[in-house]
Amino acid sequence: MRQFENIAVGYDGSSDATTAVAWALRAAHETGATVTIVHASGLLEHLRSRFSPDELPAALQLLAKQCSFDERRIRWLVSDGDACSVLLRMASAPIDATMLVVGSRGEGKREGLLLGSTSLEVAEHATVPVVVVPASYVEHAAVI
Amino acid sequence: MVLVINGPYGDSGHEDHGHPERPERLVAAMAAVNDLDLGTDLVVVPSYSASRADLLRVHNGNYLDELGAFCYSGGGNIDDDTYATLDSWSIAKYAAGAGLKVIEELRQRDDGIGFVAARPPGHHALADRAMGFCLLNNVAIAAAELLSQGERVLIVDWDVHHGNGTQQIYWDEPDVLYVSTHQWPLFPGSGSGSEVGGRHATDRTVNIPLPPGTTGDVMLRALEVVAGPVIDAFNPTWVLVSAGFDAHRDDPMADLRLTSGDFAAMTNYAVNCAPRSGRVVFFLEGGYDLRALRSSIHATLSTALGRPQVSEAPSNGGPGVEHIARINSARRTAIEILHATDETETAP
Repeated sequence: MRQFENIAVGYDGSSDATTAVAWALRAAHETGATVTIVHASGLLEHLRSRFSPDELPAALQLLAKQCSFDERRIRWLVSDGDACSVLLRMASAPIDATMLVVGSRGEGKREGLLLGSTSLEVAEHATVPVVVVPASYVEHAAVI
Repeated sequence: MVLVINGPYGDSGHEDHGHPERPERLVAAMAAVNDLDLGTDLVVVPSYSASRADLLRVHNGNYLDELGAFCYSGGGNIDDDTYATLDSWSIAKYAAGAGLKVIEELRQRDDGIGFVAARPPGHHALADRAMGFCLLNNVAIAAAELLSQGERVLIVDWDVHHGNGTQQIYWDEPDVLYVSTHQWPLFPGSGSGSEVGGRHATDRTVNIPLPPGTTGDVMLRALEVVAGPVIDAFNPTWVLVSAGFDAHRDDPMADLRLTSGDFAAMTNYAVNCAPRSGRVVFFLEGGYDLRALRSSIHATLSTALGRPQVSEAPSNGGPGVEHIARINSARRTAIEILHATDETETAP
């Protein structure tokens, strides 16, 4: 399927995002897709950078190993903006992702809250298929 | 000339420990106003909470419902940058209403300068989403009121971050011209020179992205060269300034090198875009170093009132001059593409 050519997945360091990255890596491993992992750098990150744009975070390096995914096939990006806008941007040039993957809740978000839900916003505005990976995911994924 | 400012509305309930967008910013802003020592030339209008109808001119009804409900449930983090508290909904509506009251007063007087000292700031707030510390788009709500009165509104946004919310809201509105100077790359990642407005408002968005280290001389030159001809052609009847002061060299949120003297120069530019007195309002957006905020607001307002008091000389010598031609080139190309697309679609 063309949707599995070029997967972009959002990452904010939360356990939900890590679960989403794991899903993306496993899917890419099975389909031969490339993976772009993107971190949205918000306003406050100018005060305290969380991730270097030059190096895949150690936690993700480890995750790639656990998923038997060749780290060299991962493109790591730190991009200015809010999580929703940044992930949506991945579907445009130059990344041209064919699928967007996002965890069901980001860091600091409250359960059941609609306002500020990155996954809902992305699903509403995306121009390519979106996979929302639930926090409880182990082997299966929910597809919107 | 009088300075018209909004009345106090008790913003202290909108705060999050350690967050840079904090109530002390308004204390610094009001200190800058007091430093002007205006006496009877200072006019404080009554506080006003924006009505749902006021907000619906700009924001989506579902978003307003969600935001209100979220606040009443105790609030929390909306995203990694943006918070709301139990009181934020009420406070945000007063911040949005402040501009409406200041405009009403200026209209009646037909003279003076307006300053909306309110928070949370607004220019990142989208029609249906909070972001970048912003809940309601205060300047856009004020512009909507002016539009309803048949005005042509120039919004000059000199906050160091691109005002993506304001741009989105007026993207296809021919009677609003949005001009933004901002650092790039930087949050929110939008604001390239090639973003020029929608089909019905081509050339009604002017973005001037500038590199880290840019000084005031370059910013002013870029405004004159890139935005100047567009503003002249637009011929605004009102000028609203999204006056963020985080482009100041001491601000921790970005890397431009402006001084309070540069904000005075930018103020002169903005005021001269208005057809006459009583048609310019400054809206507080960003600015997180309290001392820089106070001196920059003081320089801005004293200059706007025609009695400049500037404590820092304008800055110069920074990078970015070479960007001016590139920005103009990107704008021209984008406009040509839009026109070509229109011609193709309207061809028989």
